[in-house]
Amino acid sequence: MNRLLFALRSSIGRKLVMGVTGLLLCGFLVAHLAGNFLLYVGPDAYNEYADTLHKQKLLLAIAELGLLVLFLMHIYLAISTGKDNKTARSQTYDRKQTKIESNSQGIFKAWPENWMFVSGALVLGFIILHLIDFRMEFRPDITYEGKEPFEKAVMLLKNPITATVYFAGTLLLGVHLTHGVASAFQSLGTSNQWTQKCFKWFSIIFGVGISLGFASFPVWALFK
Amino acid sequence: MGATTDTSNETIDLTIKVWRQSGPDDRGEFRTYDLKGVSTHMSFLEMLDVLNEQLLAGDEEPVAFDHDCREGICGMCGMVINGQAHGPDRETTTCQLHMRRFNDGDTIVIEPWRATAFPVIRDLVVDRSAFDRIIEAGGFVSVNTGNPPDANAILVPKDDAEQSMNAAACIGCGACVAACKNASAMLFVGAKVSHLALLPQGKPERKQRANDMVAQMDKEQFGSCTNTYECEAACPAGISVENIARLNREYLRSLLPF
Amino acid sequence: MSTTTQASSTLISNVPSGPMQERWTKHKFEMKLVNPANKRKFDVIVVGTGLAGASAAASLAELGYNVKSFCIQDSPRRAHSIAAQGGINAAKNYPNDGDSVWRLFYDTVKGGDYRSRESNVYRLAEVSNNIIDQCVAQGVPFAREYGGTLSNRSFGGAQVSRTFYARGQTGQQLLLGAYSALMRQVKLGKVQLYPRREMLDLVIVDGMARGIVTRNLVTGEFESHAAHAVLLCTGGYGNAYFLSTNAKSCNVTAAWRCHRRGAFFANPCYTQIHPTCIPVSGDYQSKLTLMSESLRNDGRVWVSKKEGDKRHPTDIPEDERDYFLERRYPAFGNLVPRDVASRAAKERCDAGYGVGETGLAVYLDFRDAIKRDGEDVIRAKYGNLFHMYEKITADNPYEVPMKIYPAVHYTMGGLWVDYNLMSTIPGLFVLGEANFSDHGANRLGASALMQGLADGYFVIPYTLSHHFGSHSLPSVSTDSPAFKETLVEARNRVESILAVKGNQTVNDLHRKLGKIMWQHCGMARNAEGLKIAKEQIRELRDEFWQTIKVPGVGESFNQNLEYAGRLADFLEFSELLAHDAAERNESCGGHFREEHQTEENAARRDDENYCYVSAWEFNGVGETPTLHKEDLKFEAVPLAVRSYK
Repeated sequence: MNRLLFALRSSIGRKLVMGVTGLLLCGFLVAHLAGNFLLYVGPDAYNEYADTLHKQKLLLAIAELGLLVLFLMHIYLAISTGKDNKTARSQTYDRKQTKIESNSQGIFKAWPENWMFVSGALVLGFIILHLIDFRMEFRPDITYEGKEPFEKAVMLLKNPITATVYFAGTLLLGVHLTHGVASAFQSLGTSNQWTQKCFKWFSIIFGVGISLGFASFPVWALFK
Repeated sequence: MGATTDTSNETIDLTIKVWRQSGPDDRGEFRTYDLKGVSTHMSFLEMLDVLNEQLLAGDEEPVAFDHDCREGICGMCGMVINGQAHGPDRETTTCQLHMRRFNDGDTIVIEPWRATAFPVIRDLVVDRSAFDRIIEAGGFVSVNTGNPPDANAILVPKDDAEQSMNAAACIGCGACVAACKNASAMLFVGAKVSHLALLPQGKPERKQRANDMVAQMDKEQFGSCTNTYECEAACPAGISVENIARLNREYLRSLLPF
Repeated sequence: MSTTTQASSTLISNVPSGPMQERWTKHKFEMKLVNPANKRKFDVIVVGTGLAGASAAASLAELGYNVKSFCIQDSPRRAHSIAAQGGINAAKNYPNDGDSVWRLFYDTVKGGDYRSRESNVYRLAEVSNNIIDQCVAQGVPFAREYGGTLSNRSFGGAQVSRTFYARGQTGQQLLLGAYSALMRQVKLGKVQLYPRREMLDLVIVDGMARGIVTRNLVTGEFESHAAHAVLLCTGGYGNAYFLSTNAKSCNVTAAWRCHRRGAFFANPCYTQIHPTCIPVSGDYQSKLTLMSESLRNDGRVWVSKKEGDKRHPTDIPEDERDYFLERRYPAFGNLVPRDVASRAAKERCDAGYGVGETGLAVYLDFRDAIKRDGEDVIRAKYGNLFHMYEKITADNPYEVPMKIYPAVHYTMGGLWVDYNLMSTIPGLFVLGEANFSDHGANRLGASALMQGLADGYFVIPYTLSHHFGSHSLPSVSTDSPAFKETLVEARNRVESILAVKGNQTVNDLHRKLGKIMWQHCGMARNAEGLKIAKEQIRELRDEFWQTIKVPGVGESFNQNLEYAGRLADFLEFSELLAHDAAERNESCGGHFREEHQTEENAARRDDENYCYVSAWEFNGVGETPTLHKEDLKFEAVPLAVRSYK
C-alpha cells in the first residue's frame, strides 16, 4: 500500500491520476450534455428530468461530492506537476521554436497542448460562475423564485453577458479537451503508434462535439 | 528534407549570438560575433570551429561545446539552435547539420540545453550525468559475464527485435529534455525501458526497472510529460513517443500485484 | 640511421605450448586464481570505457574486484566503439555454411597478412561465440530471422556469413550492452566512475604499474589514483593523421605516456585506410565520415579516362569511363580488400584522374545497379547510407554518383602485450585497439568489436587474477613519492604548454602534422618520404613548443588545453610511426612500401627478414628507439601470398 501511494506521487503516477480524473470528468460532461439536450425536447421533459434528479438527494450528494473530489484532484495535480515542471527548467530559453512541422504554421502555433494550464484555469473560472448561476442560484440580478428549471435556464442564458461568457467558456472547455483526452490515454499507457493517431482524432472530435453541444444552448436561448 | 540542393561551394556571412558562461557559478550572457565567409559545405560544428579560430586570433577564449564522433552516433554534441534542439532538421544531430541550411545574413542564436537536471559547465557544455544515474538505477539486464545460454536458445520474434531496436537506437544526447517545455526525460527513460521490456531477456526485471528508473528520473528533477511530443520531433534517433506510452504502461504494470 | 636490435629474449610472449586448440584451456587451468574473499582486497584502474574498457570493468567488478573506471567523455556510453557500423564476427556457424573456430582463426591470420600472433588469434576465434551469447543475454537487439533466431550476413568479402549485426549500429548496441553491465556494477558499488577525466601519466612503484595521474577536465585539477593494476583500454591513434574516421577525442596520450614509462610500442606503422569515406571538401574539414563497405557490393568505382576531366559525371559517356578496379582486378572487381581498393584509388588520383573540386575522389556509381534492380531495391539496401551521404554532401546518390576517397580508420599497432595482455611494464594491461596483438598488419571487417569484447569479457578476468596471484602487491598510497613526482611532472607539462603563449592554434599545428603523415605515412610509403616525414615531424614539434597558443587557464574547463596536450603526444608518437615504417622494409597489410611491390602493384611481403613484431623501447624524445623483435611462428596457418587477381 505504501509502495502504491509512493508510486502515485511520482511524476508518472500523478499524470496517471490526472488522466483518470480527467476522463471521469469527461464522462460527467457527456451525461450533463445529454441531460441538457432535453431543453430542446421541451419544458416538460427538461423539468421532469430536473425534478427526478433533484429527488435523488443522497445519490446527488454522493455524485456532487465525487465530482468535487475529481475536480480538486485534477486541479491539485495540475498545480503540483506544473510547479515541478517549472522547477525542471529554472533558466528559460531566449528563443524557443517548435520542431513539430504542423505546429509551426498559422493558427496551430497556439496549439492547445501549450495552454492546458491557462485553458484549465479559465474553464475553472467558468465552472464557478456556472455553479453560482445554476447550483447556488446566487445571481443578484435574477429572481429564481417560483420558476421552473426550464424557465430559469432560458432566463439565465438570455442575458447577453451570460450568453457570451457561456459561449466562450464552453469553447475553452473544448480546447482543453482536444488535447486532454488524447493526453489522458497516452498517460494511461494505452496508446501505440496507430491508436495514438486514433486517440488524437477522437480527442479532437470529442472536444469539438462537447464544445459545440454546450455552446449551442446560449445561442438557442437567444432565439427563445 | 527542405534544404536547398545547391552543391556549389558558396559562402555566407552570419551573425552568431551565442551563450557564454565561464562556469557553473557565472550568470552567463549572450555575446554576438560576426562571422564572414562561411562555406555552405561546413557542418555546424565546423562553423563553430571557424568561429573559435577567429576568437583565438582575437585573444578571446573559444566557445566551449561538447562534440566527439561528429557522425551523429555518440550523442555528445547538442545545442539549441534558433530555439530548436539540434537545429531545424529532423532526425539530425548538431554535428550532421550543415550550413547550407542557413542563408547569407542570418543571425543564429545558440544556447545550451537548458534544464535544472543538466547544469551548465561552461558555455554550451552541460552536465548530463543525470542520464547515467537513471541507467544505473535499472537500465540493464542483471547477467554476469560467464556462461549464459546459447544465443539462439532465446528466441525473439523478429517484430519484437525490430521494435526493441527502434527504442535502443537512442543516443542519449538529451535533445528530448532540451526540447520539452517541462524538461522531461520521459522519452529517454521510455526508450530504455521499452528496449528491455520488449525482449524476453528484460522481462524478469521489468517491474523493478520501471519503478527504479522513474524514481531516479524524478529525483534528478526532470519535469513530467504533458504529451506535447516536442521530444519526438527533436530526437535525432527518431525515437517514437510510443515508448512513453509503453513506459506509462510498464509503470502501471509495476504497481499491479500480478 | 642505425637501429640497435636486441635479442628478443626480453620479450616473453607467455604463449602456452601444445596443440593450438588446447592452448587457452590449458593456460586457463595453469593460471593462478584469487580466492573470492580476497578479490575485494584488489583495486583495478580501467582507463577507457569502449568495448574493451566497459566490458573489462564490468566483468572484473562482477568477480569482486574494486574497479575505478575513467573516461574522457561526459559518459562512458560515448566511447568511439559506438560508431562501428557493420557487425561482429563469431564462429557460431548458425547458417550451416561451413564456418568453424578454425576457419575464423585461419581467415583472421591470413587477413592480417601473417603478422599477428597465432595463439592470440586462435583464442579470439575461440571466445567469439561466448561474446554473442553474452551480448544476447544482456539484451543487445541483434537482427533476427522470422523464426526468432539470430540473423547473419557476410561481411568484408568473407566466404561465410558469420557477422552478427544490429542494423548499421552494431557498435552502438554492443557498447550500450557493456555500458549497462558497467552501470549495474556502479549501482552495486563495485565500480566507481570518473567521467571527464584524462589520463596523463602512469605511476610505477617498484617496477609495477600501480596508478595513474589524471586531469579533471571540468575543474582542471590533477588527481592521482592508486590500484593494484592498471588496464589501458584507450583505443587507437588514427588521429595522428588529423583527418580520420576516429572521434575527435581519440588520442594516443595514455598509450604514449605508458610507452615513455617503459611499455614497448609494437608495429605503430600498421594503420588501416578504409576505401569508402566521404572525401575532404575544404580546409575547415574536421573529420571524415565512413560509408559502409557494403556499398561496394553494388556500386561501381570509376574515374574518367581523360586526365583532369571537369565534366559532370553524368555527361561522361560509358566508353570514356575507367572502371579501374574491374580493369585491374577482374576476379574480385569492386570487392577487393580495403587496402587494395584504397591504393588503387590513390594511384588514379595521384596520376591526375581524380574527380571533384579537389581532385582527391573517385566515383562510386549506382547507376547500373539501379537500372538492374530498380531504385526501390537499392533504397531498401542502402537507404540510410544514401540519406547520410546526401545530408553531408547535398548530392543525391540516386542521380549523381557518390564521390569517395580513402581515409584513416583503424590502427592495428599498439602497446606490445604478452598472451596475458600484459605490457612490458608488469601490472599494466592493454586491451582492445590500444594493444597490437590480434589483427597483424590488416584487420578484417567486423573483427574490431570481437577483439575488444573478447579481451574485456573473457581474457582479462583470467589473466589479471593470475597476475594478482603471482605477485605480492603491498598497498601503496597516493601520498608516496612516486605518485607525487608523477603528478608534478604531469602538471609541469600542462603548465609549460600554457606558458608558450605563441601565435599558432592547436588546430593549425595538428593540420600540419596530418598533412605530413598523410603524404608520407599514408597509403603508400617509401624510404625517402619517411625520412622527410621524420624531419618534418621534428621541426613541427619544435614549432609546437615555440608557437602554440592556448588561451585561458589550467584550472578550468579548457578544451584547447586538452587538445594541445594530446597533439604534443601525437608529435612525439608520429615520429615513432614513421621510424617503424622506415625500418620495415617490406609491404604487408596496411603497410605498403612502394619499393616492395610486385609488377602488378601488389604488396610484397618479406617473410625471411620481417616475420616479426617490432616492439619499440623509448629512449627519449627525438632519440632513436630500441627495437625488440618478437619472432612470429606460423605453425597452424602456413605462410602464403595474398592475391586478389
